[in-house]
Amino acid sequence: MLDKNYLWRIYWQLAGVIMASVVLALGVVSYFSHHVFDRELVPETEKKAITVGASLRALVLKATDYGTDFTQLYGVEQSFDEVFSENPEFASIAITDTAGKVLYARGKEPEAIRQHFAKPDVLSVLATPDVPRDAVRIGTQYVVSLPIVSPAKALGVLHIGIDSAFVDKVLLEVLLDVVVVLVVSLFFTLELLNFMAGARLASGLGEFTKQVERMRGGDFTPSGRMRVNDEIGRLLRWIDAAIDHINVRYEALAGELRNRIAESNPDARDKLKPAAKAMEAIRVSKKFGTGEVAPKTEETDLNRIRAPLFAFILAEELTRSYLPGYVNQLLVPIPGISPQVVIGLPIMLFMLIVALGQPYLGGWSERVGRRSAMLTGAVVATIGFIGTALAYNLYDLLLWRSLCALGYGMVFVASQGYVLDRTDTGNRAQGFALFIGAIMVATVCGPSIGGILADNIGFRPSFGVSAAMAFLSIVAIVRLPKEELRGPSMAPTRAPKLSEFISLMTNSRFMTLTGLAAMPAKILLTGVCFYLVPLYIVSIGNTQAMAGRMLMVYAIMMVLVVPFAATLSDASLKRERYVALGLIISGLGGFLMLFSESFLVLFAVVFLLGLGQALSIAAQSALVGEHCQEEIQKYGADAVYGVYRFLERLGNALGPLLASVLVVFWGYIGAFVALSGLAFFCGLAFAISMRFGPIHHQPPGATPEAPNL
Amino acid sequence: MGTIRIRFILVALIVGFFAIGMSAFLNFFKYKSTYGTIVRERVLVVGRGIENAVQASLNVGLQFSELGTLQQLMVREMRADKLIVGMDIFDPAGQVIYSTDPERVKREVSNGWMQAAQRSKTTEWNVEEGGDVVAGISLKNNFDLTVGFLAMRYSKSYLDVAAQGVGREIFIAALAAFAVLFVVTPLALVFVIRRFERDLQVLETAVSHLEDGSVPPPATGSAFDGAIASLRESLGGIKGELDDVRRKLDAAR
Amino acid sequence: MIARLLLVLAALVVFAQPSEAQVRSKPLRIYAITFRGMTDVEKGFQDYFASRKIPVEITFRDLNRDASRMPGFIEEIRRTRPDLIYTWGTSVTLGVVGPYDAPDREKYINDIPVVFTLVASPVMAKIVADLKTPDRNVTGVFHVAPTEAQMRAMASYRPFKSIGVLYTPTEQNSVVIVDELRAAGKKMGFTVLAKPLHLDAQKKVTIDGAPQMVRDLKNQKADWLYLPPDSFLGTQAKAVVIPAAMEAGLPTFASTEQLMETGALSGLVSRYHSIGQFTAYKVEQILLNRIPAAKVPVETLTRFSLQVNLATAEALKLPPPLPMYNYAEFLGVDPAKAQ
Repeated sequence: MLDKNYLWRIYWQLAGVIMASVVLALGVVSYFSHHVFDRELVPETEKKAITVGASLRALVLKATDYGTDFTQLYGVEQSFDEVFSENPEFASIAITDTAGKVLYARGKEPEAIRQHFAKPDVLSVLATPDVPRDAVRIGTQYVVSLPIVSPAKALGVLHIGIDSAFVDKVLLEVLLDVVVVLVVSLFFTLELLNFMAGARLASGLGEFTKQVERMRGGDFTPSGRMRVNDEIGRLLRWIDAAIDHINVRYEALAGELRNRIAESNPDARDKLKPAAKAMEAIRVSKKFGTGEVAPKTEETDLNRIRAPLFAFILAEELTRSYLPGYVNQLLVPIPGISPQVVIGLPIMLFMLIVALGQPYLGGWSERVGRRSAMLTGAVVATIGFIGTALAYNLYDLLLWRSLCALGYGMVFVASQGYVLDRTDTGNRAQGFALFIGAIMVATVCGPSIGGILADNIGFRPSFGVSAAMAFLSIVAIVRLPKEELRGPSMAPTRAPKLSEFISLMTNSRFMTLTGLAAMPAKILLTGVCFYLVPLYIVSIGNTQAMAGRMLMVYAIMMVLVVPFAATLSDASLKRERYVALGLIISGLGGFLMLFSESFLVLFAVVFLLGLGQALSIAAQSALVGEHCQEEIQKYGADAVYGVYRFLERLGNALGPLLASVLVVFWGYIGAFVALSGLAFFCGLAFAISMRFGPIHHQPPGATPEAPNL
Repeated sequence: MGTIRIRFILVALIVGFFAIGMSAFLNFFKYKSTYGTIVRERVLVVGRGIENAVQASLNVGLQFSELGTLQQLMVREMRADKLIVGMDIFDPAGQVIYSTDPERVKREVSNGWMQAAQRSKTTEWNVEEGGDVVAGISLKNNFDLTVGFLAMRYSKSYLDVAAQGVGREIFIAALAAFAVLFVVTPLALVFVIRRFERDLQVLETAVSHLEDGSVPPPATGSAFDGAIASLRESLGGIKGELDDVRRKLDAAR
Repeated sequence: MIARLLLVLAALVVFAQPSEAQVRSKPLRIYAITFRGMTDVEKGFQDYFASRKIPVEITFRDLNRDASRMPGFIEEIRRTRPDLIYTWGTSVTLGVVGPYDAPDREKYINDIPVVFTLVASPVMAKIVADLKTPDRNVTGVFHVAPTEAQMRAMASYRPFKSIGVLYTPTEQNSVVIVDELRAAGKKMGFTVLAKPLHLDAQKKVTIDGAPQMVRDLKNQKADWLYLPPDSFLGTQAKAVVIPAAMEAGLPTFASTEQLMETGALSGLVSRYHSIGQFTAYKVEQILLNRIPAAKVPVETLTRFSLQVNLATAEALKLPPPLPMYNYAEFLGVDPAKAQ
């Protein structure tokens, strides 16, 4: 009843109102823009119509020069059609004789146009062919008229009608991007509500709910906390006061009872018995006092990680849709390596550094402190982004991207550690939900906005924007609490040892999960989303913004389906099915490319990919805990999960490499199909091996573990 | 009641700023690119006329390097449209063979032109370099061998002036929209926030009266009713029990 | 064997030190055999080298339609060992390289690259088995536009539902083309009315009865008369077939430049000059870019000339459609006007 749901309801209502007014404001912008577009574009289009008309006129004159009679021309409408197909904003073309009678006409004519052709004013162009005339608005068209005059005599007039609605079409094309902006705004709103107001509200209301629950359960120990001076804070203080009063009263009564028992004679003591009994009953069933106030962390602290993490991840996500295009531009031929593979190199390197760095960065961030680690990472990445924006060619680009990768790894691991430090088994899942939430929102907003930016301001300034975002995250990290917290129970994390690597990688149970499910899923994801989609989309003549929209579809699928799938697969305890099904679904999409190469099909591919990944992602890591109990007991959860994550991330790095090699041999379509086929068959093999293979069901006992995206 | 309301409104304004900014940005660049495309198409219409002439000459067996009338034709076409600053035809090695500006003949065109021409998937290409905006057409012979390129240079300031004017106007429109948002959103938000604040207020009132033993407030239908009742109940319960002890203590006297 | 070894050696040298065509001091030695004297093809051939500044030394020999001269040429080739041999037309080419399934290879040149030109259908003539990879020391250029492209060009002049064809039944080449026409008709939706020319008592083809066939075609509602690259028809077009068609008011569409010259209304043809340039391009690929002839595909132009006889158009009252003035080449007008 009174929990986070209440708050979410409020958020959604707020977001609804904010969206409504944003839509209103966008309407205002569009209205003004339309006005300006109309005023500025129409005259320019008229000029173009005059040039096009002049070339059409030259053609007609050429024909009459060769002796064809002006009234007997054949195929004039064909020429008109050619003009229409090259200039979709032209709606009608006609040629009249010198009296204004239509000889040839094509297109949709406004009603009064034929009368207009015969007007003396219009025909007067024949008398003074060198004087240009302004366009005249007839119905829905702006009509430009050109005289057709051969050296010998005047022949007729050519009229081109420009559809006044073409400006609408131009603005309609912007609309798709505006919708993307709206979706992104919605996610921004929720993120911001959470960050600016929500964090305190949520913890305040949570605290309040807990307090109510505690009291219902008979716990009247005071919270002993400082209360923030806002609405909820005041509320909690009232309750604190009430609890304090109860405590005082209880203490007073207990003291009085004690004194009187001590002072009184046995007779009087008997009389006191009912009171003592009642007091005892209260003491047993309720809790009072100050003794057990644990110095619990404020939940607010946990929430504060969200903003810097979001800003930082956003910086990287912005580049997803156009990085391959940028690399393509900076390409220097490396002998012996196909350019396609070279384009994939920076992405691969990035993933590889993140994968290799992960096990060691965990321990490092513990030593230097989470906040400092994040700070270092963000600074390193900011330098990386600035360098990327200014890169001279591929070689230094690789260096800058490596810095970005290193920074990414640092921030990722450190903020994960930050969450781990501030949660216990009770609220760890919740903590990671927060962590994932920030990343998800960044994944939705980043590629789409990045694509729009790259299309309009170019690659380099777009990387500048990423650098700015990374810098913003530095500012936000600086404001994180300085003190480090470590749960006393936690042993320092360590990187898996080589021997553990080897024995796990030869363990068939572990490798079935990792090699048949986790790695293929990641290979498909990075190969398709980070490499193939951006390159293919642009190669078929579409824009980076379109690539961004595609990636947004993927991200939205994840946001919508992951929580749902996670709950379902947890509840059903048939996680293997979700993993297998997810893989098969995500692999199915690629086969669609065999039927059509249109970018709409690509949407379906990305949609299915997102759906499939979303279905399996949560179940995958849970399965490790479920199926590899023996191994976990033998090597420890840290080692097993460490190796698992490492291999999974290796899959991330393999994706672009594999995709690029496939493109070299089989082209884009072939690469799509082959990668999807890989995931599809791994899914099948996984499903089969679950039935007959080394994996058999064991009772679940998984501990919540760090997520991976 | 203040801080929460202000925070919510602040969120709305930030989001609005982002959305309006992005949409103004999109509209501006759409304008710029549409305008640029219209102008470029116009230049290309002229270019295609020249391409036709080249093609016709190649067809009848003239060599690409000996198209005598081409330069005059180019000058004539250039004069017909003030927008066009100059035209060059250069060979696949980048050397200018014909030009409206005789001084440019035999010179090398910039690398950027060559790259743009080679990178294009169609026969048409364009490039913006330095002060020049260039629309180009690749000239191919009868067996698809590129024999040269036609480049038409046109005025960048023509494009810039138009873009600046429109940019300013869209900026003003965006400001106006933001002003609308600034006025409308807080008003609209207040409706939602008020309900929230009322809930909180009810809660606060209820909580502040927990101890004075006043009558429970009537259920307001707020989300907190349950919590309030529960609070009252637990407090009432413990109070009752303590009262009981008190009574028993007093009775023992 | 030695030649192949030399080629490998040459390739090695080139590989080790990529030489630029322009700086080559020693001219390429090309031995050219024509069929009926010099044509525009040879002009285009030489023009290409001139424009690319590639020094060549071409020895021209003319067969002059006399096959008995061939052995002498072969002997001269064996003696002088040119870098490459250029052959004009099907008979010359076959005389030099023979059909690919010929039993006695000794008679032919097997070790010097041969580039042919103006062969109507190299596969039919058994010069190469496959256009993409000739797989012998021969490659070249053929000059007839693909049948479908010709049909489309015809339709863009005037759309049609049915075409008439006259052809020589004894010319394998023509029979195949009629089949191709039927296939194109099925795909594009038109019918083909094909009429074989009569054979006389000696089973030799004769033009007698052709005018009547043209009239019949007109009566059977043929919209066009298509003139295939048929050798016999080519010799009779100007005197018999075209006049008959003009009389019947049937527009004619030519498949070669020679047929256009006989007065056909329109045609999609390869300009000899362009063909010559393309042939020279193939030579460049073999001798300078060191691609073995066996791997250089046999191709034709990607863009053909659409020609129109304006006098014929006027007589038939069938002016060309307006868009065609942008790209068509008009015959029968003074060149000053054409520019």
